[in-house]
Amino acid sequence: MLSVILKRVLQLVPTVFFVSVIIFSLQHLLPGDPALIMAGEDKDPAVIAQIRAQYHLDQPLPLQYLYWIKGVLHGDLGESMRLKAPVLELVATKLPVTLQLACMAMLIALTLGVSFGVLCAVYKGRLLDSIVNVVGLVGISTPNFWLGIMLIFLFSVHLGWLPASGYVSPFEDLGQSLKTTIMPAFVLGNAIAGVLMRHTRGAMLQALASDYVRTARAKGLYEHVVVIKHAMRNALTPVITLGALEFGTLLSGAVLTEQIFTIPGFGKLIVDAVFNRDYAVVQGVVLVTATTYILLNLLADLGYILVNPRLRDE
Amino acid sequence: MTTPLLDITGLRVRFQGADGRVVTAVDGVDLSVHAGRILGLVGESGSGKSVTSLSIMGLLPKDSAEIEGRILFENENLLSVDEHRQRDLNGHRMAMIFQEPMTSLNPAYTIGEQIVELILRHTTKSRLEAEAQAIDMLRQVRIPTPEQRFHDYPHRLSGGMRQRVMIAMALALQPTLLIADEPTTALDVTIQAQILELVRALQEKQTTAVILITHDLGVVAELCDDVAVMYAGQIVEKGAVEDIFNTPQHPYTVGLLGSLPRLDQPQGRLAAIEGSVPDMTKPQTGCRFADRCPFVLPQCRTQAVPLQAISATQSSRCLRAPLERLVA
Repeated sequence: MLSVILKRVLQLVPTVFFVSVIIFSLQHLLPGDPALIMAGEDKDPAVIAQIRAQYHLDQPLPLQYLYWIKGVLHGDLGESMRLKAPVLELVATKLPVTLQLACMAMLIALTLGVSFGVLCAVYKGRLLDSIVNVVGLVGISTPNFWLGIMLIFLFSVHLGWLPASGYVSPFEDLGQSLKTTIMPAFVLGNAIAGVLMRHTRGAMLQALASDYVRTARAKGLYEHVVVIKHAMRNALTPVITLGALEFGTLLSGAVLTEQIFTIPGFGKLIVDAVFNRDYAVVQGVVLVTATTYILLNLLADLGYILVNPRLRDE
Repeated sequence: MTTPLLDITGLRVRFQGADGRVVTAVDGVDLSVHAGRILGLVGESGSGKSVTSLSIMGLLPKDSAEIEGRILFENENLLSVDEHRQRDLNGHRMAMIFQEPMTSLNPAYTIGEQIVELILRHTTKSRLEAEAQAIDMLRQVRIPTPEQRFHDYPHRLSGGMRQRVMIAMALALQPTLLIADEPTTALDVTIQAQILELVRALQEKQTTAVILITHDLGVVAELCDDVAVMYAGQIVEKGAVEDIFNTPQHPYTVGLLGSLPRLDQPQGRLAAIEGSVPDMTKPQTGCRFADRCPFVLPQCRTQAVPLQAISATQSSRCLRAPLERLVA
């Protein structure tokens, strides 16, 4: 089993390398010259040349890549040309915010999605199943920005329970932090919950109709044991896959939701960087996001091994 | 005669199909099994054998199956007990093994765990005691090195081995009734004999009654004490195994026996029963086998044919029984 895990981890090395090359190249395929943008109105050729030299923009691309990757490996993601701050620092301040939001959203999505998915499968065709299915569909189809605005309207403007915007770190004030993040987390989690619910329901229906569930009932096991121990364990695989993917998407930042609740997360950072051709920031953020994506996939793979003993043999 | 262990009267099972059509899968089955005996339940696919056995175990889907009649098991009507009571009996007083050993065990748990959870569910034993008992059962079904196999997941075992595990699980708590639903159909011929031999050995040792569902008459002749032949949801003939084989009293049974391949005499093509089973979504009048029967009379199609006693041990659902005078 250990060798299986080790193999999965080693497979990551080439993936990470190719991802870094792609990130680096894509940036340079975009139209527009960052040196020109930075030089400002005057377009003084001397200044432009100096900027080019400083950021290695006058070197051939492979060399530029080497400069960049060498820095990355030393924790130096370059410097934002616009904000005049190290990219690592920018990422380090924004990532925890996005991470907190993503974790809370995922927690909400998993709790709602999995439990209602299981309930729907158990009570298939009954009233509860129909209601949850409709609510789930509405949840999937509701645009995030609209739901966000409605929540602000209800809980902030009307009831005055929650702040409409802003962000407080959980290390400063946990209660206040939860208050500022619960609405955006719910908005993000809501859409994922619907998708998770439908997949859980489908997988559970399949598991509940299986021969081993019939065996479990023939053994006289209690129905909750049959559902939770025997059916759910086998129905988890699609949930793991989907959960990991959705979590990865959350980590790349939720631009609209962050905008509505004025949360200083990854979303705004990356959008600003793209619009201003702030190469280093875009590269840094995308690299961090891609790496977390890859790590999440690894976690999902390990999750499969945990759930499915057949994958432990190789 | 003593009270039977299992006594089914007037069992009728209807399924509501998704398209609104109602299928009567079992239509008025009367059947009894005595303690310690092996009953062969014979018939082709769709004749209602499996549905009958699943209704004994309470395993039919509650939302689509409509069950009528009475199933007395140890003097308790299973059709009127609640779900909880049925689950107390399942795996403890009665057990079932299925046709598909490859999919009947949960792939996510070791075989040991799957036996242990059964023992813990129905007894007050500790986990350690349950584990010891599970290993002992694995040994009894002749699984080599049971202490190591105990920790194996099902995917590491062959079909035959998995069926042995299913048997170990079914018989772990010495139930009085074992239902074996075509337990060897999915297995290699060489393994089939071993599995059946195993069932018989353990059945004798524990004096368990067995309902063996099969369409293999060779197996029936080899293993069973009594036979019930099902056709289109009804029992068309039942009796002691020697009666059925020596003097079959229903044309369908005669047809089944005629389609057995024989090694002791030269034979061309195997005999087959012409025609096919009636549409179970339509109400039936008269004998269901009438369209395929070589001895059919006009009244066979118009009047209901009851199951009539031919002798002390044999009964048949045929107006023309006893059949000897027809053949002679």
